[in-house]
Amino acid sequence: MNDACAHIIDDDEAIRDALQWQFRTRGVACRMWSGAEAFLEAWQPDWRGCIVLDIRMEGMSGLECFDELLDRNCTLPVIFITGHGDVPMAVGALKKGAFDFIEKPFNDNDLIEHVQRAMAQDEASQRAAADRDTVEARLATLTAREREVMELILEGKFNKVIADELSISMRTVEAHRSRIFDKMMVRSAVELAQMLTALRT
Amino acid sequence: MPSTLTNSPSARRRNRWIGRLPYFALAFFLATIALLVWLTRQYDAEEQQSALITDVLWMEQNLRFQLDRNEALLQQIGPELLDRSTRPSNQTEAQLRQLMSQDRGIVRVLWIDAQGALKGSLPPQTETSVVGESEGASPSESVMKLARALGRPVYGPAYPVLGDEYHFEVYVPAWSEEAFLGVVVAEYSLSDLVSRELPWWFSERYRVAVLDPDGREIAAKSKISPLASHLSYTTPFEPPGRGLTLQITAYKGETRWMPVLLIASIVLFGAVIVWSIWQLRRQLARRQEAEQALRSESAFRKAMEDSVITGLRARDLDGRITHVNPAFCRMTGFSADELIGAMPPMPYWDPDQIDNTLQVHDVVMASGTPPDGLEVSLRRKNGERFSALIFEAPLIDAEGHNNGWMGSVLDITEQKRARELARQQEERLQATSRLITMGEMASTLAHELNQPLAAIASYNSGCINRIDAGEVDPAELREIHEKIGRQARRAGEIIRRVHDFVRRSEPKHESIDLNGVIREAVGLVEADSRKRQMRLEIDLAPQSPRVMADPVMIEQIMVNLVRNGMDAMRTTPAKSRVIRIRTRSAANTAEVRVIDHGSGIDGETAEHLFQPFFTTKNEGMGMGLNICRSIAELHHGRLTFEPNPSGGTIFILTLPVERP
Repeated sequence: MNDACAHIIDDDEAIRDALQWQFRTRGVACRMWSGAEAFLEAWQPDWRGCIVLDIRMEGMSGLECFDELLDRNCTLPVIFITGHGDVPMAVGALKKGAFDFIEKPFNDNDLIEHVQRAMAQDEASQRAAADRDTVEARLATLTAREREVMELILEGKFNKVIADELSISMRTVEAHRSRIFDKMMVRSAVELAQMLTALRT
Repeated sequence: MPSTLTNSPSARRRNRWIGRLPYFALAFFLATIALLVWLTRQYDAEEQQSALITDVLWMEQNLRFQLDRNEALLQQIGPELLDRSTRPSNQTEAQLRQLMSQDRGIVRVLWIDAQGALKGSLPPQTETSVVGESEGASPSESVMKLARALGRPVYGPAYPVLGDEYHFEVYVPAWSEEAFLGVVVAEYSLSDLVSRELPWWFSERYRVAVLDPDGREIAAKSKISPLASHLSYTTPFEPPGRGLTLQITAYKGETRWMPVLLIASIVLFGAVIVWSIWQLRRQLARRQEAEQALRSESAFRKAMEDSVITGLRARDLDGRITHVNPAFCRMTGFSADELIGAMPPMPYWDPDQIDNTLQVHDVVMASGTPPDGLEVSLRRKNGERFSALIFEAPLIDAEGHNNGWMGSVLDITEQKRARELARQQEERLQATSRLITMGEMASTLAHELNQPLAAIASYNSGCINRIDAGEVDPAELREIHEKIGRQARRAGEIIRRVHDFVRRSEPKHESIDLNGVIREAVGLVEADSRKRQMRLEIDLAPQSPRVMADPVMIEQIMVNLVRNGMDAMRTTPAKSRVIRIRTRSAANTAEVRVIDHGSGIDGETAEHLFQPFFTTKNEGMGMGLNICRSIAELHHGRLTFEPNPSGGTIFILTLPVERP
């Protein structure tokens, strides 16, 4: 259930059926929803993949559904399907952070390609989030003194300067340094700097 | 209308004084007249009194003179009568007879010698009569002695005699060479003396009476007693004396008619004056009452007139303004002073429509306004124009002549503007709702058609994917193609529904005035054109073509064409941003041209121009011209276009004209 898949929300049964067939022919996992209400009711924060939303639907419109998802801090990429004349609405949605929009009727496999890109992005952001978690877990193992020493190392200071500033011996600094590298699982100061820069941006 | 009402207390007090002044003056006048009359009467009475006194004195003088004369005569003849030696001469006899003549009052003369013997008498007297049968026997010895002693004539007292008369005597002593000879006694009849010695005029005026000391009347010149003794005078009767008094009483005198008449007339006229003043006062009071009523009525009317918001102005028959109310002044912005007396053309007439207004004015002057009023365009002092509805009523004066017109003027600008605005809004709303309906319909149609098409496209892509992957399962593909067929039928169904819908909304054909419809349409887009700094020029056929058409649909075409024209002129220099709309009628057709100076239409665009969903605009739907052409065709007309020789495009709507 938690496998990544494309959640397609459209109130037209023919379209759902056709898209399901087309996605199967390309081997892209998808799940069909007959309306925004049904989807929002079932939605879980750990769902992965992407969402394909028809703008014009009976009941709750695609845009309203999108707003609701933003309120729930849903990070899944959203692709809008627009009909003729809905383009300005779709542009508005893009500005709010939608992934993309595609006009009906679709050309060939455009939609599937969009979906695949969205899913890839979701996966990447998922991975980045996982990395961030790892680094943070490693940082948590450092003592207060080691953190202090690490900040100075990141500023590019030599051991000698660090020892002077902290009024400790060179040997103690070296010991801290090797323990920091061990705990953060890096081999050099450069690697440490890269890892933390990625985290802090 | 009185400009100031005399209502202040001081003014009222002054008015009251002025009102009372005639009464005071009249009272003084009457009092003066009465005083004058009284004084005149008084003066008259005094005059009469003094005349009486004068007359009395004169009479007394006269009597005295008579008596004195008689005395003198008696003194003269006495010695001769008493002288024994001589016989009385003839002359003496004559003198004696003269004395006896009637007007001297002497009835008898006796002469008595010094011894008291009667010597003779005239007329002759018997002894007995000398002794006298009456009181104070005559002649009286004592009186004789007194006369002798005094040496001058002495009068005796009056005494009654037969015949209710009184006589008295005078004793005249006679001397001869110092020797007393005797006395001559002359006996007077009192009544004869009084009546004969007085002239006729005196006795006519006065009643003369002689009173004895007891106040009894012993002789009188008239037996009639005066009616009133208001004017009388009493004087002692001397020389006979002895307590006799002479009383002279004026007869009632002649009534002096002149003063009486004068006084009577004064009284009469005074009464008339009082009466007429009283009448005048009553009338004045009535007038004041009426005036007061009029004043309050006038104040009431004025308040009414000031409170109304309808402008009122009165004109005389020459058209000169004679009266305006404050509302009219507010309406026109001119003050009453500026307006009153103004002659046509009035300052508040719209200079652009002066001929028209003058014509209306002449009509009004001749026959008033129709019951619904007349609408004219007027101009305020500040140059602002406004529409006014005028009602005129004839001003009928007290004699029933029509001497002008009273007009009420209603400012209907706001009303008109509101009405116009409401109408425009209503129309715009209708037009918008028509556009919205049409747009919605088109949009719905697009969406509806998109659904099956999108499904078909997806099925199709899936099939291609299968074929590309070489995984062709005929059963599966067959199922998919059945689905594709179903979606294609669904699309066909939608198209058929649209067709049905269009057929249902057949236009209603009615006889319309093409120019009017175009004006309406221009009204709808005018605001938009102003906003976009574009000008609309209308060049309408003088004889408005009549066509059988649905006015709403024709309006729709016009709005669409004008909007398209304006869209096309977005990049045109501002001064040539003009859309000209021209109507012309030919033999069987009416033609409307919408001429813009926009970017024009290139060849490729021209090919697709009327196709549905073809548009050159970013937010356009591509339905406008398509619908326009459909409408034109529904009316058996045509919608074509051609390039404008001076740049831009000309759209031409041709409609068949109505057959009469």
